[in-house]
Amino acid sequence: MSIFHKILHWLDDAAYVWRFELRQVLRDEGVLLFCVVVPLVYPLLYSWVYNNESIHEVPVVVVDQSHSQLSRQFIRMCDASSEVHVVSYAADLDDAQSLVSRQIVKGIYLIPEDFATRVNRLQQATVSVYCDMALMLTYKAIYQTAMAVSQKMGAQIQTKLSGNYTAREDLISTSPLDVEEVAMFNPQAGYGSAVLPAVLMLIIQQTLALGIGLAAGTARERNRYGDLVPIHPSYGGVGRVVSGKALCYLMVYAIMSVYLTIVVPKLFHFIHIATWQSLLQLMIPYLLACVFFGMTVSCLVRYRENVILLVVFVSLPLLFLTGVSWPQTSIPGYLQGVSWLFPSTFGIRAYLRLNSMGASIADVSSELRCLWIQVAAYLGAACLVYGHQLRTTRQHASERLDYLRKKREVRQALKKRQ
Amino acid sequence: MRYLINIWRIAMREMKILRKNPIYLCCMLVFPLLTMLFFTSLLDEGLPQEMPVGVVDLDNTTTSRALIRRLDGFQSSHVVAHYPSVAAARHAMQENEIYGFLYIPKCTTDNLLSARRPKVSFYYSNVSIAAGSLVMKDLKTIATLGSAAVGQATMRAKGFTDEQIQTFLQPIRIDLHQVANPWSNYNMYLSTVFVPGVMMLFMFLISAYSLGMELKMERGKELLAKADGNIVVAILGKYLPQALVFLVLIFFYEFYIYNVLHFTHAGGLWTIVLLAVLQVFASIGFGIFIFGLLPSLRMSMSICSLWGVLSFSLAGSAFPVMGMDSPIQALTWLFPLRHYYMLYQITVFNGYPLIDAWFHFVALVAFTLMPWFVVHKIKNAMLTYVYIP
Repeated sequence: MSIFHKILHWLDDAAYVWRFELRQVLRDEGVLLFCVVVPLVYPLLYSWVYNNESIHEVPVVVVDQSHSQLSRQFIRMCDASSEVHVVSYAADLDDAQSLVSRQIVKGIYLIPEDFATRVNRLQQATVSVYCDMALMLTYKAIYQTAMAVSQKMGAQIQTKLSGNYTAREDLISTSPLDVEEVAMFNPQAGYGSAVLPAVLMLIIQQTLALGIGLAAGTARERNRYGDLVPIHPSYGGVGRVVSGKALCYLMVYAIMSVYLTIVVPKLFHFIHIATWQSLLQLMIPYLLACVFFGMTVSCLVRYRENVILLVVFVSLPLLFLTGVSWPQTSIPGYLQGVSWLFPSTFGIRAYLRLNSMGASIADVSSELRCLWIQVAAYLGAACLVYGHQLRTTRQHASERLDYLRKKREVRQALKKRQ
Repeated sequence: MRYLINIWRIAMREMKILRKNPIYLCCMLVFPLLTMLFFTSLLDEGLPQEMPVGVVDLDNTTTSRALIRRLDGFQSSHVVAHYPSVAAARHAMQENEIYGFLYIPKCTTDNLLSARRPKVSFYYSNVSIAAGSLVMKDLKTIATLGSAAVGQATMRAKGFTDEQIQTFLQPIRIDLHQVANPWSNYNMYLSTVFVPGVMMLFMFLISAYSLGMELKMERGKELLAKADGNIVVAILGKYLPQALVFLVLIFFYEFYIYNVLHFTHAGGLWTIVLLAVLQVFASIGFGIFIFGLLPSLRMSMSICSLWGVLSFSLAGSAFPVMGMDSPIQALTWLFPLRHYYMLYQITVFNGYPLIDAWFHFVALVAFTLMPWFVVHKIKNAMLTYVYIP
């Protein structure tokens, strides 16, 4: 057989494995659920949850003990802001606290009796702000609004005191240094725009691991000997089996990843500034790494359900390890080491920077390099474990063959005796 | 009495199953413990510290350098680099080297002294919201301090007292009370919801798994025979050991966070115990209910895992429920973690009376009782269903 024929034969076998695997995916409702339904529906649900991006009109209660023109101005200005909404007035702090307790309001503004008196006496006045710390976003809204209003009112008081002649002089005496605040990326501080891209990328890895694991579990349970690889001439070599199976999942996820990384952000108007070329350069190693990672993990499971127990709970820790919710620089070193084992760590970091920060592909080259290393490592691991599976299959096959031969011999011997 | 003996016998049988299958050891002890350790050690700092920020100092005077030194002294920020231009600093942000930077243009000090109102800018990124908001706070403070320093110097030269200067610069002071978490400690804020969430996920999965395994291993008839055909007795006996194991695990975690890490718990001991008990029973109840609804091992486990993962978002502890669309707000009621979180923050964290969280209390009790609707379906499944791989 010429080398050309050998290659052709190899390709033929790989294509057979590919087709067989695809048929299994389509027939198994569990795999179908995780590989098709979840990647299609989950992003929509998550996008809907975070669709509003930020919170507005956080309800607060005011305890106005000053009852002065100044205190009412303070309340009015807070109420006029987009972030805070004064829903109620309380007689005292206990009264206000009961409203917080009943979840009607998230914070309390207390304006003490001597508020206006102190301001007019040229003494520093105080406004007390009490925040329910169960929610960081509402705390931030309530506190920052009070800060902004106090600074604005303070500037008005300063202007009155300075006795300047021109508006320019007023400006210079209240703020001699002009400060400009620029939120460069994700400017509206949208929660969805920050979290969702990471969730989308994580969905790819987790559903792939679940799908491949479930398919492997089914294959084992259908097999007479509980083997992962069936006895079939096309399943002759490690390369053919691994590449055939990988091609099947790559095919499904090539479509899914376009949907997840391009269609969903566009549909819900989340930040989306990566070019398709750079996304392609990221998604190829990411998908390959995820597929081989999934194949390696799938060899660890005996029963198909165990893969759910193994894969699902790590989703949340993996999300934290990427540095989206908790800054990467604050993650302890040993956990950073653990995070290097998973493709999602580098995939999500690179995707966020390409997609939300407009980085070029050169800016994420270190992440890409790590992903390619993972591709190589997990390919090697997948080949190793599948090689082991092949050997056990062959052993079972030869044992079965011996048994059948022996059976025939015994039968023939019995016939002769008759 | 006969019922009690049957429950005891089934519980003994369940203990044997738990001991034999290593997956129970993993999911009821090893993985939960790892998760607890993971979150509490990851967030151990409480508030992110020494986050890398950069500086573009084109002014380069003693004034600007003093500002930068002050910024470096802040708890959350650490000045790691000076950049020659804004473009270079932006590039460093895109390469993940810094979270934000301060830009001081040329002649800032000159213009400041000659009252020409120069402009300094600070840039930060909200791609990581926690890092972005903390860096923003520090950069804003330093810029405001720079502004105030000028006024202070001028007024001092004119002979005002310190009190007069302070009053002029800040006529109205905000006196902030961060009730129950004055350190804005993220460990207290996240580990108290996400770890119980992962525990709930395990409880959902294990409840569905252990019933499904009876079908898969064809032990359903034997289980019912042991219970004299009474499915309620069978379920009570079966989940008694599991509930106890999870309760012990959760009490261990509560002891760890409240006694060793000293998380605030204004509600006191009895609210913590009540919450733990409700958490375990509601989760197991939910898991059994889902299995009863779809008596197939793989489908019930899939639904449980999808539900469990979604509940982290729909609990509304990170992004508040009040910010979601109203259909989603209604949907959150179907997630036990949502009620757990509300009950936790009202009664344990803030120490408010239980009556203010009555709805969530009732909801968790309802989750516990939900298997009642499907016990007959489960009995039917145990007697007649055959596992198909």
